[in-house]
Amino acid sequence: MSNDKNGESRRDFLKKGAAGAAALIAGFGMKGSRANAENLDASKKAILMDQSLCVECQSCRLACQRENDFPITAQSIKFKSIETGSYPEVEYNSTRWSCFHCNDAPCIDSCPVDALERQYGEMNVTDIEDCIGCGACLNDCPYDVPEIIEGKMYKCNGCVHLLEDGEEPACVTTCPTYAVEFGNQEEMAELGVERVEELEADGKEAYLYGLEAQDGLGLFLILRTAPEDFELV
Amino acid sequence: MGLTRRKFLKTAGLTAGAVGIGLSGFDFKAWAEVQEDSEVVKRASLCNVCASHCGMWIHVKNDRIWKVTGHEENGRSQGRLCPRAHGGIDWVYDPYRLKQPIKIEDDGSVRPIGWNQALDEIAEKLTQILEEEGPEKVFYAHNPRRTGVFYGNRFMHALNVSTIMTHNAACNTARGRGFGASMGGVPSADIGNSKYVVMIGRNYGAGIRTSQLKAVNKAVKGDTTLVCVDPRQNETSIIADKWVPIKPGTDLAMVLAMCKVIIDDDSYNHEFIEEHTIGFDQFADSLDEYTPEWAEELTDVPADTIREMARGLADVAPAAIVHPTWKGAFGCNYENSTETARAVAYINALLGNINQDGGLKFYNGPSTGSLDPDRYPAPAAPDTKRADGAGVEDEYPLATGHGLPHVLAERIKEGKVKAGFVRHHNPVRNFPDYDHMEEGFGALDLLVVFETQRSETAMVADYVLPEPSFAEREEIIESRGGSRGYLAMRTQAIPKMYGKTKSFDEIIRELAVRMGVGEYFKFTMDEANAAILEPFDISLIEFKEKGSMMVDVPQPEPWPELGTPSGKFEFYSETFEKHGAPPIAGWLPPATGLEFGANEFRLVHGKEAYHSHTATANTPQLLQITKDYNTNRLWINASVAEEMGIEDGDEVRVSSDIFSDTTRVKVTERIHPETVYYPGSYGNRTFHYRVAHEIDSLNPNDFVKYQVESIVGHAMVNEVIVTVEKV
Repeated sequence: MSNDKNGESRRDFLKKGAAGAAALIAGFGMKGSRANAENLDASKKAILMDQSLCVECQSCRLACQRENDFPITAQSIKFKSIETGSYPEVEYNSTRWSCFHCNDAPCIDSCPVDALERQYGEMNVTDIEDCIGCGACLNDCPYDVPEIIEGKMYKCNGCVHLLEDGEEPACVTTCPTYAVEFGNQEEMAELGVERVEELEADGKEAYLYGLEAQDGLGLFLILRTAPEDFELV
Repeated sequence: MGLTRRKFLKTAGLTAGAVGIGLSGFDFKAWAEVQEDSEVVKRASLCNVCASHCGMWIHVKNDRIWKVTGHEENGRSQGRLCPRAHGGIDWVYDPYRLKQPIKIEDDGSVRPIGWNQALDEIAEKLTQILEEEGPEKVFYAHNPRRTGVFYGNRFMHALNVSTIMTHNAACNTARGRGFGASMGGVPSADIGNSKYVVMIGRNYGAGIRTSQLKAVNKAVKGDTTLVCVDPRQNETSIIADKWVPIKPGTDLAMVLAMCKVIIDDDSYNHEFIEEHTIGFDQFADSLDEYTPEWAEELTDVPADTIREMARGLADVAPAAIVHPTWKGAFGCNYENSTETARAVAYINALLGNINQDGGLKFYNGPSTGSLDPDRYPAPAAPDTKRADGAGVEDEYPLATGHGLPHVLAERIKEGKVKAGFVRHHNPVRNFPDYDHMEEGFGALDLLVVFETQRSETAMVADYVLPEPSFAEREEIIESRGGSRGYLAMRTQAIPKMYGKTKSFDEIIRELAVRMGVGEYFKFTMDEANAAILEPFDISLIEFKEKGSMMVDVPQPEPWPELGTPSGKFEFYSETFEKHGAPPIAGWLPPATGLEFGANEFRLVHGKEAYHSHTATANTPQLLQITKDYNTNRLWINASVAEEMGIEDGDEVRVSSDIFSDTTRVKVTERIHPETVYYPGSYGNRTFHYRVAHEIDSLNPNDFVKYQVESIVGHAMVNEVIVTVEKV
């Protein structure tokens, strides 16, 4: 399932092995903070989103809605953006915003009917039948991700029904710019680090978000501006 | 998680009543289990939301479409899909889709009509017009798709009708003729392998052809320098290396100056120029005035930036491209668009990049078979004069064979055109000057529109004949070229939803019989498709399962003979000269000029990734994105807005010579100060598009007068100055 990028397969990046990966990630300075390789869970899957390739076409959002039979008003994947500078020196940056599949997930603890639980690949998944749309998860989510629509909560559930069949999430397989990757959390973290270093070597500002927040996330973001600019904590 | 009962009900779309069982004997649980265990079937199709026709799988459960995914063996999708493909499913289930033919009487009343009666009436009327007025007063207009070309053109040729038109005069006609005259045709851009790419207006990030974004990924991740020239910081420029803002309508000056830099630096490809071009010396001699400083005055692009781009391209040539674009900045936008297209062809010639890796490539297509001409003879090519003047000596001799629908509208009003078919096309809304187009097409004695929805053009028709949706019909196999070619077809994914819809091929065959030209339609679609597939080692039955396959094609020969009169690249065009156009492209300004008074701006428009022109605003899943992100707004430069006392979200009035309306603004730094921008996705005038009317919106075409460009006759879609005032 590797995507061809300049003739290199994703697997080529991952020859270093687990120890090498940990060292790479541990040594990766996140603008002053030290990344925590211990947050990487061998059984956890993760989505890696590369904003340096994203044109915000919204194909991911639409594919997600269709795959999961979500209402069209459920923004299970959305985008936040910031404009800085002034004409003609303008910088525009965006980020995907969807369930971050926190290792330490407040939503799971807060749900009064246990409608949220960890499933395949340690993705945080909603049982829509059990959900009563109370909004407790939204209250506790550090990212304000849950969308309550007509008494039910909608969010990215990691397409676990596809993962169980050995397939990738719908957003990954539709993205026309190949900006979304999927795999083991450790593998995705390593790819993320590689890409940030590649961008920096090209003189571009780049950040990897998701190694530390909430004890590690199931959605990593390669950003072209500091995470704090999007209020990502 | 599996398919829950609640979810299956949505996907199955069935009720007890539809199943036909009385509720008292109905075992819901058993029925639910059967439904839940039903398989999901994948059927091969082609997306229909734009002309790219990306290969896709339609996933069907219980005869209802669940989702679509990209076909892996298709040159356009390469396994992926752009946003519109997903939203396009809404067209199939639109409750207001046309379910049967309708007739619109002279008094405007609308009534349903049976197929036999409709086709009898159409055949009778069209026959009468052909006899009394002649085939020169009849036309066929379509956004050309394979089936429409195969059946529609054949039918029109059988009737000796030569006026076959497409949407191109509001799309890329200037580009087509500009490149055609100089380079012999329009090549593809091998941007994935290129080292320096300049895109002038072409916005891959919003005018999406799925496979092209794969090339953008390769360019962005590789060592390609990608530069986007556009008055607006568009969706491609946000991931590119550089955004070069430009005053709209002045791209020609920038490109001429870039040519001058390369020639003065002596960094052009000498071998290509000397052996494969004519007229270079005359072109080089014409460039004295076109310095980067001169261009800076006109374009607002700094002279150093112009030099930087020119040198960046020349340094890595031939793996360097100035993109030929679709509409972009010079497809049909200004009085100077044809010359801009020629100038862009010129700079590519200087780079020597034709059929070179990372340059412009004339790819080859697969060699397909065709119907046996002895068994199924085709009608002769028509020998009649075109009704729109395209290619006619003293009318629009340099207009391309794609025709001039906006000119046709004028001629209809003059009584020079009487009847026509419009299929898969909405010229009334999608050309400038709505009143002009509506009155024109509405004045026909017979207008037959083949449509699934009641579009603006359908509103002025005499008969609207509905096809089933793209998901309910099978079509003629398409074949396309590339570094690898491919063949693809649309197969029927779900049963026909409405019994009184007919596919285009069926309708044409039945009309042909009525009009005495049935001899040209004796083959079935299966026979036509089997003939196309004949050179390939696959049966039609197998191909219907497969849907799409890549095939090897000959690779382009470097610096080939070109499709020009000389066989070489022509800086100097005798054809242009013969028809009164300048033989060598030189500077000329837009017709509406470059001076703007207080509160005056040029209004430009563009695409959004999740909309296809005005065809998708009525699609709930896609319009929801507009609503969530408030994209139905007029972009205005932040400094200008501040001076005018306008804040983000304020309402303003936009007015041109012919139209005025209000809208909300997006105040942004991402746009040239003398420019305002509005997406081209909205402003539907048909009241039948109920969903589209859930938002307030504009359509830039409403503001632009009917105009016809001097060289190729295109619609000059950006030749409009508007005033903007706070409300």
